[in-house]
Amino acid sequence: MKIFFYKSILVFFLFLAGFHYSFNYVVKFTKNKVSNNFSKENIEVLKDKIKSEMKTGINKDVFISKEDAKIINGFLDKIITDLNQANK
Amino acid sequence: MIIDLNKQKNTIILLFFYSLSILIALLTFQDFGIHIEEKYHRLNGHYWLNYISKIFGFTGIQNITEIKINQIYDYTLSSVSTYNKYSILFDLPAALFEILFKIENVRDVYYLKHILSFFIFLLSSFFFFKVLLIRYRNFNLSFLGLVLYVTTPRILGDSFLYKDVLFLSILMFAIYYLIKSINSQNLKYIILFSLFSALSVNLRLFAILIPIFFIFFIIIKNFDFGNYKKNISKLLLYFFSFLFFLFIFWPYLWSDPISNFFNLFNYISNDGKIVKLFYNNDYISNNTLHDTYILNWIILTSPFLQTILFFLGFFYCFFRLIRRYINIKKNSIHNNLWRGKQEEIDFIFLIFLILFYFFFVFFNAPLYNGWRLVYFFNIFLIYFSINFLFNIKKVFFNKNLNKLIISFIFLFLMTYNIYAVIKTHPFQSLYFSSLLSPQMKNGFEGDYYGLGSKHFFEEFIQKDSRKVVKIGVATHTPLQRGLEGISKDLQKKIIIVGQEYDQADYIFKNNISEVNSKLIKKYQIPKNFSKIYELKIDKIIIYEVYKLTKS
Repeated sequence: MKIFFYKSILVFFLFLAGFHYSFNYVVKFTKNKVSNNFSKENIEVLKDKIKSEMKTGINKDVFISKEDAKIINGFLDKIITDLNQANK
Repeated sequence: MIIDLNKQKNTIILLFFYSLSILIALLTFQDFGIHIEEKYHRLNGHYWLNYISKIFGFTGIQNITEIKINQIYDYTLSSVSTYNKYSILFDLPAALFEILFKIENVRDVYYLKHILSFFIFLLSSFFFFKVLLIRYRNFNLSFLGLVLYVTTPRILGDSFLYKDVLFLSILMFAIYYLIKSINSQNLKYIILFSLFSALSVNLRLFAILIPIFFIFFIIIKNFDFGNYKKNISKLLLYFFSFLFFLFIFWPYLWSDPISNFFNLFNYISNDGKIVKLFYNNDYISNNTLHDTYILNWIILTSPFLQTILFFLGFFYCFFRLIRRYINIKKNSIHNNLWRGKQEEIDFIFLIFLILFYFFFVFFNAPLYNGWRLVYFFNIFLIYFSINFLFNIKKVFFNKNLNKLIISFIFLFLMTYNIYAVIKTHPFQSLYFSSLLSPQMKNGFEGDYYGLGSKHFFEEFIQKDSRKVVKIGVATHTPLQRGLEGISKDLQKKIIIVGQEYDQADYIFKNNISEVNSKLIKKYQIPKNFSKIYELKIDKIIIYEVYKLTKS
């Protein structure tokens, strides 16, 4: 009985340790990754970055080059045409 | 009556130590600042006193507490029902003292609590000393343990703040009575053990491990010494009195004991605050702490030799236990986990430490501000340090060399601790090991309790000649709570404007932040402010002051 009890305690402890260093560890790692990448702080940083890029864009003489403007224009025209066709 | 001084030498040393400690405490306890949670604890005390007065019909006290609750309550406090799970052990008697002795000045109430808290800690040190004396039967080693217990800088600094060191003290009483009740059939010890385990659970729910450990221990003892009847009656007595004391000392349970008790577990698992902690020059979330978090904090903030001795003592006992475990065989003569009553105490301390440590690791307990929640580990740290010194004689066979080495370590440990305590006064609770570089020391959370606010107001703001000074706060520390620690006249001079820096004359800053300050600029100092002062203790920046240079 005594030896059985001691062995059970050891097995229980090893089970907990095994669970912790496998399953718990993965959960903690994932949680950490998620909270680091999608944290409030990171979203704020992203927002700030977008704002500052927009400001830089406003202050530039030419923000979109002629070639890019042509492509975007053509692309938007194409979308509008397709949407209009769908409405007919 | 003639007193033989030689025979009474040890008693005189002890008396001298305690008298000196009490004297120093009485002379210096007002140097410590007011901490940010004092207001809540005062509210908690009056809230429960009011509740009990209502039940027992003490109308006078009920009316006074109602007035006090309204006076204390302000916008910085959540409703007390959010926190009413906290223990009444210290707050309620303090509230009663406040009323009975008619203490009107809030600052005096807080300082009374500080000194009472320290006295409880000092009393627990005597119980620790007694445990060491039972274990080692050596006055010098036990006395060294006592001195280290009292002078470990972080613990001493916190002992005035009636939070985590209060739990340490109550746990120490529980351990003492556990040891006493295990080897005695005296009912007094079992009842006292159940009382202190109930109070420990009342203070910190994870202390529920104490009764669990007690069952485990009684089972193991039964294997070797039989005596089932006596042990079962001991267990039953313990459990009934434990439940009785738990109920009596926790009014929160009175209305619905079972469901309220289990609600606590829900509350802890769902309502724990998730914040960022400044750790190793980075911000980490307190719900995803790594397994070595506690261990690292202990190494960084405990006197280094004490930590080394602890590891040596701990591993000595741990490997001995492993050896004993392996040697347990059906027909073996030495067939148990410990030999003799002395080793039994080592076993209790070892299992307690392992149990508590892995409890925190396995359950991923969210900690705040370093390892303060587990300051009670210091009991074990010192116990195993002394254990190693006790066993060192097995390493050195030469008696004189042995004596010399122990005396050297003895002196070094005591002198170092006392030096560190003096050097960091009154910010001992922010102590870092002297082996660390200043950059490393400042790469971890500092003055969470806002103890520096008292110094800031009294030594800095008071010297400003303006009638009104507006102060911005570039930290998560609620600085306005520190106002209660200063005189009324000075309070009138100060207006706290929080993070509205454009209105501030000065900005108070420390490195406590609930968000990642590297990314969120909430606590960033505006460019029109420049640093004019910083308070440094032992190269640790307690706080910085920035002054408006151009509007």
